[in-house]
Amino acid sequence: MTYLGKTMILLAGLTLAACTNPDRFAGGNGAGAGAGGAGMAGAASDPTSPAYFQQAVGDRVLFAVDQSTLSGEAQATLDGQARWLMENRDFSATIEGHADEQGTREYNLALGARRANAVQEYLVSRGVAGNRLRTVSYGKERPIEICSEESCYAQNRRAVTVLAAGPTS
Amino acid sequence: MRFFLTLLAACALWAMPATAQQDGGPLRLEITEGVIEPMPFAVPDLVAESAQADDFASRIARVVATDLSGTGLFREIPAQAHIGRITSFDSPVEFADWRAINAQALVTGAVSLDGAGRLVVKFRIHDVFAGQELGRGQQLVGEQDGWRRIAHKVADQVYSRITGEGGYFDSRVVFVSESGPKDRRAKRLAIMDYDGANLRYLTDDSTIVLAPRFSPTGDRVLYTSYETGFPRIYLLDVADVGRRVLPTMDGTMSFAPRFSPDGRTVLYSLTQGGNTDLYTMDIASGRSTRLTSAPSIETAPSYSPDGSRIVFESDRSGSPQLYIMEARGGEARRISFGQGRYGTPVWSPRGDLVAFTKQSKGRFHIGVMRTDGSEERLLTASFLDEGPTWAPNGRVIMFTRETQGERGEARLYTVDITGRNLRQVPTDGGASDPSWGPLQE
Amino acid sequence: MPRVNTGQIISGAAHAAVIGWVMLGGVFRSDPPQVEVVEAVAVSSEEYAAIMARQSAPEAVADVDTPEPPAEGEAAPALSSGADAAPEARPPEARDTPPPDSVPEVPARPAPAPADVADEAPALSVPAEDMAALVPETSLRPQPRPAPRVAPEPVAPSEPDVRVDDVARPEVAPEDGAEVAGEEQEATAPEEAATEIVTEAERPETPAPAASVRPRARPARAAETETAAAPAEPPVPDTDRDAVSDALAAALSDESVPAARRASGPPLSAGEKDALRVAVQQCWNVGSLSSEALATTVVVAVEMAETGRPDTASIRMLRHSGGSAQAARQAFEAARRAIIRCGADGYELPQEKYAQWRDIEMTFNPEKMRIK
Repeated sequence: MTYLGKTMILLAGLTLAACTNPDRFAGGNGAGAGAGGAGMAGAASDPTSPAYFQQAVGDRVLFAVDQSTLSGEAQATLDGQARWLMENRDFSATIEGHADEQGTREYNLALGARRANAVQEYLVSRGVAGNRLRTVSYGKERPIEICSEESCYAQNRRAVTVLAAGPTS
Repeated sequence: MRFFLTLLAACALWAMPATAQQDGGPLRLEITEGVIEPMPFAVPDLVAESAQADDFASRIARVVATDLSGTGLFREIPAQAHIGRITSFDSPVEFADWRAINAQALVTGAVSLDGAGRLVVKFRIHDVFAGQELGRGQQLVGEQDGWRRIAHKVADQVYSRITGEGGYFDSRVVFVSESGPKDRRAKRLAIMDYDGANLRYLTDDSTIVLAPRFSPTGDRVLYTSYETGFPRIYLLDVADVGRRVLPTMDGTMSFAPRFSPDGRTVLYSLTQGGNTDLYTMDIASGRSTRLTSAPSIETAPSYSPDGSRIVFESDRSGSPQLYIMEARGGEARRISFGQGRYGTPVWSPRGDLVAFTKQSKGRFHIGVMRTDGSEERLLTASFLDEGPTWAPNGRVIMFTRETQGERGEARLYTVDITGRNLRQVPTDGGASDPSWGPLQE
Repeated sequence: MPRVNTGQIISGAAHAAVIGWVMLGGVFRSDPPQVEVVEAVAVSSEEYAAIMARQSAPEAVADVDTPEPPAEGEAAPALSSGADAAPEARPPEARDTPPPDSVPEVPARPAPAPADVADEAPALSVPAEDMAALVPETSLRPQPRPAPRVAPEPVAPSEPDVRVDDVARPEVAPEDGAEVAGEEQEATAPEEAATEIVTEAERPETPAPAASVRPRARPARAAETETAAAPAEPPVPDTDRDAVSDALAAALSDESVPAARRASGPPLSAGEKDALRVAVQQCWNVGSLSSEALATTVVVAVEMAETGRPDTASIRMLRHSGGSAQAARQAFEAARRAIIRCGADGYELPQEKYAQWRDIEMTFNPEKMRIK
């Protein structure tokens, strides 16, 4: 029994060690030529600023290959986004969906759209008004990491919430 | 020992059924194996029959030779190896001279300028070993700055007379010209002759443009653009480069547009609420019809040449595969069954094959299969090949090949449907998403 | 006894097992294949190569990704690791007996080859049978390498200064080979060829040099020895062949076969017909035919002069099947070119049987050449 007990403790310790947050504050805005609506800067220390949203709350979630389901981490980040959006009602958002380069162009466009939509529905389920959110997909056209390896692909499979001042037009 | 061997041989051959010589008939033979090799041919410079035509005499011959060699079915015997000379279009050909250098086909021609300054080109095709002309000589007339088109038309005639295939040289390709790093690619619509000449830009590079498609008559182009911030479909007139956006609902994205064979309908994908389905729109009225209603992704459609059926890509089975359904919608039948993911299906202009992109084991391939899914053949393999388009004769495929890594670049390649003759299309810089237009009138 | 004890059960089971193994174990032992000497002798080297090519061809060209991954996946890697003993054993087997060595691997010898086959018949039969039995079991043939030309037999790349031509001709300088009608000839060799089109998708990922070097060396050697020995060769095979056909003539004339059909002696031997067929084959280029023409069979008639040259004006199409008239015209033109080109110097046909081969009907059936 002691043997089992030690094993359990060891396993629990290892599991908890895995719970580090991957660095989502990778520098740079979400790419988006023509995404409409420039996020305004403002100090990251100001909790009502888009910079705070980007860096402290986290403006992006990542996906597994071919998937548009939200992982536990993704949901946690989106919970934070939803709260921020409820507290800062002056902003609307465009959710950009992306895919990695391992797919054909048009299918990846559709896949990015699925991902963006998954985020939108989740935010709506957390209370954000639907008319404040729009979705767009860039497919594989705007990667943020350009090496051709899984480490880069993982970063590219993302949905980024880009803020815009004022209600959506 | 020797006697025993010959006796054995004699007995064996006697035991074989007598095939050829039946009573009194000719010797009969069946030839079932041959060789597959490029046919050696010669195109000496054309005879210049008027002043100022000298320039065109050799330029036209060069384009004809390049077109034919570029198919991989012909091999040019260069001028330095020629023994005979063609000095007059109408005098008989000394075939022995051309047999000596093993030219099996010979193209002779003459060019002159008529009173209006137009080019007049005459040509003949000769079967050197049979010592006779193939078909009848022809004459083409055109503007001087259309000399390349005249040369392509001559090459088309030679090609189809000898092989029996339709030609494809007098055609254009619309594509996306690319520049810049992978994460900030600048893209613009461009059009060129199939061999890379006469490049012209149709849009600027201020927004992302994707996947253009030629109309069946080659006068218009459909494409997707992010001009408004969202993917939308635009219709562009090639001659005056005027364009307009197709009407769409708010909150939707539309992309992957194709023309119907009669040029009046657009078949495309529309995404609403995260779900992508196939729709058609009548160009004149703007009225749209929904073709599929599945929770899966339906995209990258392509009409059959008679417009009765559509092949498209769907992940309803869990991974992207190819399906065929009636053009008006309805039940779809899966036709791809190999290991891997299939996409971007395009129906051959001959109606017999579907070309596609396949991903399997981390590699991309361009392949073809029959329209019932049988006889799948892969023609290429690389890090990233995608987006095939058919030449007007259904024999050659052009596609995009992107290299990997940070400095990866996209280029256009062509390959014969036998899988032979893979070669790059000469473009200035990166290029992707080609769409091959029809043979021009 | 009313009670069976454990010992008896075990003993009975063991006995049953031993008996069963003795009776049924033989099923799993492979018997030596039956030998049919007659058929082995009758296969010419070209046909043998054609059989081998046909058996391996479907694997190389067929659906790369049909649901049979083990067979497909193993082919390339197993080749380079050389794990299987059977195919490895085959080449040494063949090399030990030089005459059978030459038969499957000599692509560049059209006319002399049938003579060789007939001469070495019995020595050939045993290894040929083993090889024939092995072929269906193994898929590990050397992968065809991409080459600009596709022909029934693979041809190694020729030396750089040798001009490419359809027929291999040795270099003949005026003072050599008194037998040869002293015209100078350049050394020519058939262009490098593979047996199939190898698309980029089928090219093996691993170069597999170990497996492909050995077979390649032999054709090179054969080609070299051929060009070296060529001046002396032309007279020799002729006499061999004549000896065989004489023996044949003797054997056949014993039968009351109506030799009076053509009023001039025995019909062409299978070897001679074969030589003609192979000669025409080498010039029958279907590479520039449309796919429709590749589905069209044409029957072509030709009249031959006594020199073995075809009368160009007499070449005509008798009938066609499988395609439109337009496709048949294309196919006919390719057939006509084949007959004329390879007959430019005259085909090798026995003059004394001229009456037998003055009128020839050739059926050109491209079925096997479609999308090779």
